[in-house]
Amino acid sequence: MAKQVLSCTVNGEAVEVLVQPYVTLLDALREDMGLTGPKEGCGTGDCGACTVHVDGKVVASCLMLAMQVRGRKVRTIEGLAAADTTLHPLQDAFVRLGVPQCGFCIPGVLMAAAALLEENPRPSEEEIRYGIAGNLCRCTGYTKMVAAISEAAGTLASQRSAR
Amino acid sequence: MSTMKTTRDVKGVGVSIPRPDGPEKVTGRVQYVADIQAKGLLHAKLLRSPHAHAKILSIDVTAAKALPGVRAVLTAKDIPHLKKKAPTRAHAVLAIDRVVFMGQPVAAVAADELSIAEEALDLIKVEYQVLAASIDPLKAMLPGAPPVADAGTEADTSEALAHSAVAIAKSEAPAKAVNISQQARLQRGDPAKGFAESDHVLEKTYRVPMVHQGYLEAHAVLAEWDRNGLLTLWASTQGSFNTRSEVADVLGIPENRIRVIPVECGGGFGGKIRALCEPITAVLAQVTKRPVRYVMTRREELQAGMPAPQVIIKLKTGVKRDGTLMALDAETVIDSGAYSGAVLAVSAVFLGSMYKWPSFDVRGFEVLTHKPSVAAYRAPVAPQTIFAIESHMEQIARDLDLDSVEFRMRHLIQEGDPMVNGQPWQSNGAKQVLARIAEHPHWKSRKQWVAAAGKNGKRRGVGLALGGWLGGLQPTGATVRLNPDGTLAVLTGQVDIAGTNISLAQIAASAYGVDTDLVRITTGDTDVAPMTGLSAGSKTIYTVGAAVLQAAEDARRQTFEIAAAELEASIHDLELTDGKITVRGMPDKGITLATIGKKGNLYMSKTPPVLGKANPAFTQQAPGFAAQLARLEVDADTGEVTIQDFVIVQDVGKAINPLGVEGQMQGGAVQSLGIALTEGLMFDDTGRLTNPSLLDYRKLTAADLPNLETIIVEVPAPAGPFGARGVGEPPIIPAPAAIANAIQNATGARLTELPMSPERIALALVNGKH
Repeated sequence: MAKQVLSCTVNGEAVEVLVQPYVTLLDALREDMGLTGPKEGCGTGDCGACTVHVDGKVVASCLMLAMQVRGRKVRTIEGLAAADTTLHPLQDAFVRLGVPQCGFCIPGVLMAAAALLEENPRPSEEEIRYGIAGNLCRCTGYTKMVAAISEAAGTLASQRSAR
Repeated sequence: MSTMKTTRDVKGVGVSIPRPDGPEKVTGRVQYVADIQAKGLLHAKLLRSPHAHAKILSIDVTAAKALPGVRAVLTAKDIPHLKKKAPTRAHAVLAIDRVVFMGQPVAAVAADELSIAEEALDLIKVEYQVLAASIDPLKAMLPGAPPVADAGTEADTSEALAHSAVAIAKSEAPAKAVNISQQARLQRGDPAKGFAESDHVLEKTYRVPMVHQGYLEAHAVLAEWDRNGLLTLWASTQGSFNTRSEVADVLGIPENRIRVIPVECGGGFGGKIRALCEPITAVLAQVTKRPVRYVMTRREELQAGMPAPQVIIKLKTGVKRDGTLMALDAETVIDSGAYSGAVLAVSAVFLGSMYKWPSFDVRGFEVLTHKPSVAAYRAPVAPQTIFAIESHMEQIARDLDLDSVEFRMRHLIQEGDPMVNGQPWQSNGAKQVLARIAEHPHWKSRKQWVAAAGKNGKRRGVGLALGGWLGGLQPTGATVRLNPDGTLAVLTGQVDIAGTNISLAQIAASAYGVDTDLVRITTGDTDVAPMTGLSAGSKTIYTVGAAVLQAAEDARRQTFEIAAAELEASIHDLELTDGKITVRGMPDKGITLATIGKKGNLYMSKTPPVLGKANPAFTQQAPGFAAQLARLEVDADTGEVTIQDFVIVQDVGKAINPLGVEGQMQGGAVQSLGIALTEGLMFDDTGRLTNPSLLDYRKLTAADLPNLETIIVEVPAPAGPFGARGVGEPPIIPAPAAIANAIQNATGARLTELPMSPERIALALVNGKH
């Protein structure tokens, strides 16, 4: 099959790549664009390790064809920290509170949490738990994860009020 | 050399310090096997058997080989050194003439692209003659059952050795029972007399299905040979030296021709100890002379990984009316799948000797079936065993109207009491842990909390359970160098999955006498690191930590000897503060660590470079106990369980890094709750897995759980570094029993089969008229 040109925005930069029309967004990101932050944990949309944002919404990139993001904005874990590499408050809280163990689920969890906080800046514990319910983690038991997301929500709120 | 130390006055042991590689993990920059880019990389796929038991009549790979982009198609006959009687799963690289479980690899393909390799699989034609299969372990034990192993295949006990469980006597299997691969029997006293004199005899059978370790990163490996015949494996493994040994054995090449580079491991939990896909990937790379990567799919993981065994425990106890223990009779059947390798001892020890039974008859059988062979899963066979004995103890207390904590406490072992095999229990915190959880307000207020249930049809229950792990052992090595700027470099071969390296750095810091931020720890590959054991069995901190501690002390001694010579002072008069060694009482007379470090690296210098080393192989285990308490609600109509509160109390000896310890306690507890409530690999009568996806194999999510409260108890382990015990296994052990006990408290129904799904609970309520 002939490859097709995919034009989209990835982490704020205009991108043009040749991809097979049948590849998933996850494979295009990982194999064709070198963005290996999103992980394949199941390939069937059940684990959330491949979570990215498309036009600000959470998607399981293993369930979406790459060509479906033509002209759209994609954000991966590689685009979560600031351009000067300052960690996003979520990332900073995850590190300080000791969330990552094996780390394989973390990129997906962070992207789900980032989308949650953009939609709901001060979520309750229950809302946080539902916000990351699509992301399986086998190491942490989620407790520190929920605490870190809650703390980051507070940090983001105080950053907003300081502006 | 003693490792039980008090901490020095530095930022080291006992402080919560986030792991230094955290930023790499939260930015997606950490590289797992599947993330590595390699020039000329080929992708591997395996054709797997669609039958649980079948004879292979023919394999035709002609069309697959002809597909453009395919670089190799292999079957067993292309690998002449394969052993026909595969002693382990790793040796069963490709099926030779018979498949013994559904999902067993039959042919292997390497191709330019993954999609080409997948297409090639469809072009391979295999003719099978389907044979009768042994699926149910209880039927597989019976004479005349379809045999799994080829006659003469030896039992594999290396898993038991790897986990350093206690030795138990082995007895021979009855000659006609073809599928019993290991068995053991331990007896004490006269159980028949004990039962005859008992007022209360309770007999129940507890069933736990196969469960998958559930690591999020599937098995993955990248193999490449150089032109000198050296094989490099980039592996997702819990022990690079173990992987090297197994691959060398299967391929029949010397270990020093293999280099295993342990790549970031996306979870193992026991499932990435033994070799699985490494040998076939190495062979594909050898044949194609290209780097080859194999990454298992989730479906393959669930269908043909190496899960925890199905365990069936028949337990009978006899006690006096006042709760005096009289006799215990237990039979544990462990379904090991198609290859031997399960751990028998753990079940015997905890059934027969967590409580002081004066007489017992404990029997264990490892049975082979036509299902995927099993491996370790965090505290192998302990959650299943504790589910049985702790459900049983609760039931006895309930039947006799005894306080269940007092009843346990009265009979619980302590240091020096004999285990089933007669060896004494080592120092442990079992009693302290049980006492601590019984003091928790959730336990003290349980009657009021249960009585305050709302009118929403939900019944409330509170339950607890105690569980333990004997503690792993393995010889191991470590080195500590002093750098020319006064910082320290620690080298081990320890694969850091959960954040153990920061704890090891803290141990080095406290033992040497500098702050942890001056210590950097490196996990070396098998070419450069000192021989280091597995990241398994709750023994990283206990054993590698001890090696690092001793190596750091050795480095400190060498440093002080150099300082003593330079300062013309006695070594006993020196002290190290803020990176400077001074003569006590003479703060101006000193030398910095940086100066000593520099002298060790100067051209023509006579000062030896500081190189501390240690390679201990100590033999004293340090059991770790944990107790867990659940407050839950049961919907009597649907059987749905909602956990409202969950408390974990654990004796960790000494919390080297409390942050990491809490993470272990919480993560282990959730795996334990998964075993209790939702997880189970379900096979039909033909050996087909009926839930081969994460939609159907249900793991707990954040929305299923409350915050988990952690309470750390510290009963120092005599041989542990700074008193530390292993932390990883104990928290996965008690929850199934704690939840079952809470469900009984809520509903009156005693669940004896896992998972305790809404369906099972609702049925129990209907059938039991509770």
